[in-house]
Amino acid sequence: MKNKPPRWAEWLVERLTAPYQRDEILGDLSELFQKRGFRYGYSKARLFYLLDVLLLMHPRLWRSKSRSLAYANYPQLTHYQHPSPLVMLSNYFKIALRKLHRNKAYALINVVSLGLGIACAILIFTLVKYHLSFDTFHADKDRIFRVYTELHDNKTRYNPGVPNPMGDALRQGFTAFEKVGRIAFLEKRVVEVSPNKKFTEDIAFADPEFLEIAHFPLEQGNPKTALLERNTALITDRVAKKYFGTDDPIGKIVHIDDSLVVRITGILRNLPANTDIRPEMYIPFGNLKDHTPWMVEKDWWFSVSDDMQCYVRLKPGVTAAAVDNTVLPAVSSKYYDEKMAKYFRFKLQPLADVHFNPNLKGYTEKKNLWAFGLIGLFLIITTCVNFVNLSTAQALGRSKEIGVRKVMGSQRGALFWQFMTETALITGMATLVAFGLAYLALPVVNQLFEINLTLNPFNDVYLITFLPVLLLLVIFISGSYPGLILARFQPVMALKGKLSQRQLGGFSLRKGLVVTQFAISQLLIIGTLVIASQLRYSQQADMGFEKDAVVMLPIPDNKKSKINTLSAQFSELPGVESSTFFDTAPAAEDVGNTGIQFDSRTESEKFSISIKAADDRFVPTFEIPMVAGRNLNPSDTIREYIVNESAVKALQLKSNQDVLGKRAVINGRPGTIVGVMKDFHYRSFHLGIEPLCITTRSENYMNCAVKVNLGNLPATLAGLEKSWSALYPSSIFTYQFLDEEIERFYKLDTMMLRLIQAFAGIAIFIGCLGLYGLIAFMAEQKTKEIGVRKVLGASVPSILWLFCKEFVRLLLIAFVLAAPLAWWVMNGWLNNFVYRIELGAGIFALAIVITVGIAALTVGYRSMKAALVNPIKSLRSE
Amino acid sequence: MKGTQLGEFEELVLLTIALLFDDAYSVAVVETLGEKLERPMSLGAVHRTMQRLEEKGMVSSRFGHATAERGGRSKRLFTVTLAGEQALQEMRRIRNELWAGIPKTAWSGL
Repeated sequence: MKNKPPRWAEWLVERLTAPYQRDEILGDLSELFQKRGFRYGYSKARLFYLLDVLLLMHPRLWRSKSRSLAYANYPQLTHYQHPSPLVMLSNYFKIALRKLHRNKAYALINVVSLGLGIACAILIFTLVKYHLSFDTFHADKDRIFRVYTELHDNKTRYNPGVPNPMGDALRQGFTAFEKVGRIAFLEKRVVEVSPNKKFTEDIAFADPEFLEIAHFPLEQGNPKTALLERNTALITDRVAKKYFGTDDPIGKIVHIDDSLVVRITGILRNLPANTDIRPEMYIPFGNLKDHTPWMVEKDWWFSVSDDMQCYVRLKPGVTAAAVDNTVLPAVSSKYYDEKMAKYFRFKLQPLADVHFNPNLKGYTEKKNLWAFGLIGLFLIITTCVNFVNLSTAQALGRSKEIGVRKVMGSQRGALFWQFMTETALITGMATLVAFGLAYLALPVVNQLFEINLTLNPFNDVYLITFLPVLLLLVIFISGSYPGLILARFQPVMALKGKLSQRQLGGFSLRKGLVVTQFAISQLLIIGTLVIASQLRYSQQADMGFEKDAVVMLPIPDNKKSKINTLSAQFSELPGVESSTFFDTAPAAEDVGNTGIQFDSRTESEKFSISIKAADDRFVPTFEIPMVAGRNLNPSDTIREYIVNESAVKALQLKSNQDVLGKRAVINGRPGTIVGVMKDFHYRSFHLGIEPLCITTRSENYMNCAVKVNLGNLPATLAGLEKSWSALYPSSIFTYQFLDEEIERFYKLDTMMLRLIQAFAGIAIFIGCLGLYGLIAFMAEQKTKEIGVRKVLGASVPSILWLFCKEFVRLLLIAFVLAAPLAWWVMNGWLNNFVYRIELGAGIFALAIVITVGIAALTVGYRSMKAALVNPIKSLRSE
Repeated sequence: MKGTQLGEFEELVLLTIALLFDDAYSVAVVETLGEKLERPMSLGAVHRTMQRLEEKGMVSSRFGHATAERGGRSKRLFTVTLAGEQALQEMRRIRNELWAGIPKTAWSGL
């Protein structure tokens, strides 16, 4: 390197010099260097060189060509051997736009499929972010916990609620807590603003501390006295507008359920969408005993209700583990005897866990969100695969362009970036399409999930950072491979047009990509089929009781006289076949559990038994078969029980007869077992049939079921409403069909089905777009081949087969990959159900028939067109 | 002169370009001027001057051949334009007139 000028100085000059004089100056410098080196030696020359470079520093060096020079006779081409990147970029854009303009179908397929994928990604991201943001807006949220109950018998059960004295106990005896706030949730209460203005509202009875723990600021009213004074209420702004319109709500009086009269003293700011604490009306906790006395009766430590909850904020520095290990066990041992202290255990649940813990009635599990994200990722991959597929196929078509560019001096890097610019352009357009699609889909998504998502990238920091990251990812995944392929072309080969598919390389990679794409689609299709058939099974299977044509009505007041009146009036209606009163429907999500002591056995049984309160018409109305003994006696005072077959089995009795006439103490109340029912599904199919007993107890009746004749339903319903409203003038008439209620057990599953259906549809659609693009390209490539084959006597079906066999093979490979994975995933899902379908070959066969069918439709049209072309036309033009 | 002035260095460079005639490019100008003036010339100064001259329309340029010692980069060859020649002639005329106008006694008096 002796006779070379210093590289770094050369580099510096190259960077600084305006392009039009770059070559000249570098040449001058190097010539001077060589001459001086020859004359004075190279080390001196190097010094001169540096001096010259230093003296070159002048704005004229980097200033662009002055205007007067622009007219001078400059040879244009040589000035841009190292053009500035910006100039090249505009050229790239121009070329890209021309390309897209010329290949509209190709552009459309790419933009639509990328758009769909990106739209899904945006929606999924918004949804996941929405769920992760739940209850994150409270001040000191890391120190806020909910106290929950663990009930330990032969298995552990969890309850988000606590016994009602818990709040006071924590407040008095322990120092770890900064604030303790009890809150009792009461759903669907009737709020009467004026006699003809009634609303159904979820309300809460809360300690004043609760509003200090939860960040629900007051817009009007005094935060210091809020919830302190009895018979006052806080409502949100939204509710205030609903009740009073534009009137000032402060000081207004409302009635709650006939039992409570409250005065509005404060207006809360509207609750944010991302909180699980949904009530919009807060009443002092002290009023609870006037409204629902049983929830607070005699400071009961032995009853835990979901609705009676206790939130705490720990003092700074106190850890949740410390409270879990010392404070809460101390509560148990202080208020229970030794045996019960083992049974009732209390723990802290972090606020961040409330939304995600299914044991404690959380909305969804986090793993569902991640699964969801994974599906989004799959979709993005599918779309990128599409893009890669189509553009490598297209690469052949632009071999001439690449060849010419290379001859003119394009470097690999430049060609690569040219292609990346094209990709970026398409992705940019796709993003616009995606936003359009996402906006259109948002109401549907909101309706499906019963949430209220909004999509605004300009005030959402997460979305605005997510988008560029996503775009870059998409651009790189989909652009880099075809870009590399293009940049690798040998110019001579490319210009001669001698590149073939095989030399392009990546044909096997493309096959791999198609396989991936179809594996993903098939996975989703199998998922859809499995979920759909399990749901159909759950909803159509025999539950063991009659669920059709049964109307369910709530009973706001279960006084014996009212029930009797209602029952008598209902039986007079022509469309009513029978009616019955009970606490929960034959199949319900919440069933009470209790202990049982049987016959003369000294110990309580190890298992717990579900208990339902129902009158004597329950069994006939729901047509539950009795396998032994008789139905209940209508009397409320003579305690009788009927049990199901599982209970007999759990009692380890040989025959159903053995249980009849025996004494049993259930829920602390002794009675006689008079009958055995055939097992019926009293919970969803997620859970098994366990021991169950039914007894009469009218003070627990909350619902009424009316078996109706479907012949003249509207008239019957009107009749029911008339009698019901006459009896309960202050309540609002609502009804529901039992089968619909049972369908709601599977609400989450149905939601999942809809989602997976949508995703499977999108994945297939995207896959088909890609397939169509590939087949179109193949057809063009094979024009000559088909012509020759036809001339030599090939039939149309054989040519069709030429196209199809490749794809059928790929589909089968995809299926081989997808099937075991799908089996494993769906088997896991089905394990959530005790009563489930088996994963038969039928579902898998159906899945492959569907995919092959759809693929055949996609491939068929285009290949048919190719096969029917007159060979004269395809062979004539050379 | 109509607005276009020639600076002293500009005049020298322009003259050198005329002198070198067919082989007038920056390195040659640097070397020739360096020899005549007996002081080293900086490439930057010459370069900028030639640029300025071109902007004034006194020289025109074209690209010449590349040589190995230039690292394969082409040189820019300059030719004096008509305007350049006129400017030089004008300068010379003014100088001659001034010289002719100097009285003889001005020199010997000292």
